[in-house]
Amino acid sequence: MGDTDAFGKLELELRRGVVVLATLSQLRTPRYGYELRQALADKGLPIEEGTLYPLLRRLETQGLLKSEWKIEDGPPRRYYALNADGRKLLKKLTESWQGMNDAMGRLLKEDGQ
Amino acid sequence: MNANDVIESYVADVAVRLPRRQRNDVAFELRALLNEELQARAEEAGREADAAMATELLRAFGQPADVAARYRPALTIIDPADGHKFLRTAVIGLVVIWCAGLLTQLRQPIGSASGLLGALGQWWLGVVIPSMWWPGVLVVGFGLAAWARRRKPQTPQWQPRAADRIHGGRAAMAMGVVGIVCGLSVLIEPRWILDLFWSGHAAPAAYTALTYTDTFLQRQALCLFVLVALNIPLFIAVMAHGSWSARLRRIETGLAVATCVAMAWAVLDGPIMMAPDSDRTAKFFMVLIIVFVLIDMAIKLLRSVRPAPKRQVRA
Repeated sequence: MGDTDAFGKLELELRRGVVVLATLSQLRTPRYGYELRQALADKGLPIEEGTLYPLLRRLETQGLLKSEWKIEDGPPRRYYALNADGRKLLKKLTESWQGMNDAMGRLLKEDGQ
Repeated sequence: MNANDVIESYVADVAVRLPRRQRNDVAFELRALLNEELQARAEEAGREADAAMATELLRAFGQPADVAARYRPALTIIDPADGHKFLRTAVIGLVVIWCAGLLTQLRQPIGSASGLLGALGQWWLGVVIPSMWWPGVLVVGFGLAAWARRRKPQTPQWQPRAADRIHGGRAAMAMGVVGIVCGLSVLIEPRWILDLFWSGHAAPAAYTALTYTDTFLQRQALCLFVLVALNIPLFIAVMAHGSWSARLRRIETGLAVATCVAMAWAVLDGPIMMAPDSDRTAKFFMVLIIVFVLIDMAIKLLRSVRPAPKRQVRA
């Protein structure tokens, strides 16, 4: 029971660490909330809607995203996309993530031997 | 209630918790997104969306208060680093206030069970409930400290410091020696002060007020004055050594304990001064000194760190 709890909490922390980077990575082109969630899920990283939709607003408030209301074959939808600062941050975070990912790969490989 | 009503109700519950300037815009977007989520669920289930399906979706989405909080940057009033300190200070302060209030209530004559209940009721209404000012003051204080740290993140860097350093340096120690000598001069013969300022012409009552009883002079005085005087060679030794060694600290603690015991003995043994008023004053200050010394020793004990591996219990 304790192991399951610990796994759940630690996995949640891992996911929290990558949610922002994953979201930014899918906003190079404008997307609205539901579309973005589908895109992330299709690529293997489902994020709960209750987490993702507020996150988009927070990232916009932080000055990393731009957004606008559009009407395209359906109801009005708010589309989000990276602005200049968001693109710079995505580049930096990607480099940082790749460095950590390589290091973790080496660490876990050593551990498995 | 249909599925739309359920979503409208949820959106309203979330939006009302948001700042007015973004409330309507977020509500409009959230409603559209939830409708799309619900539609997708209905298609997956192969049936029309209904209130039960909408409720299930929204329960998974989260409590309205939690969702509203996620739309805003995290607000921290007390820094997590201060959390334990805040809790400890709040609890200790409340316990002190409550105990002091309870003792004050119980000192009054209580003749019956109803009298005891009445005293407890007065304690509850007059001490416990008003004591909530203390956590309030702490929240404001810790909140301001956290705000100041966020405003000026470049707080002073941590500096190593020697555990055995002399607070204030040798100059402070020298001042301490002078203070003990002066204090002893007054304590041994308090009437000397009257002669100094009034050249022996002070009122007789003033001389009586500053006269020790024979009992005190014969029993505790010598012991007490010697213990206070022993601080002089101790301070000189610390100045010569340049810092507090473990042995000097042990001697300091031993002297403090012995002085407290001697003072407690003097307080409990009978009158110290001839005049009742000055006797009460002298005893009040002695008790105050004992309390401060004991609190200081308790704090030092609680804050002491002796790195050592935790003993493992073998099966």
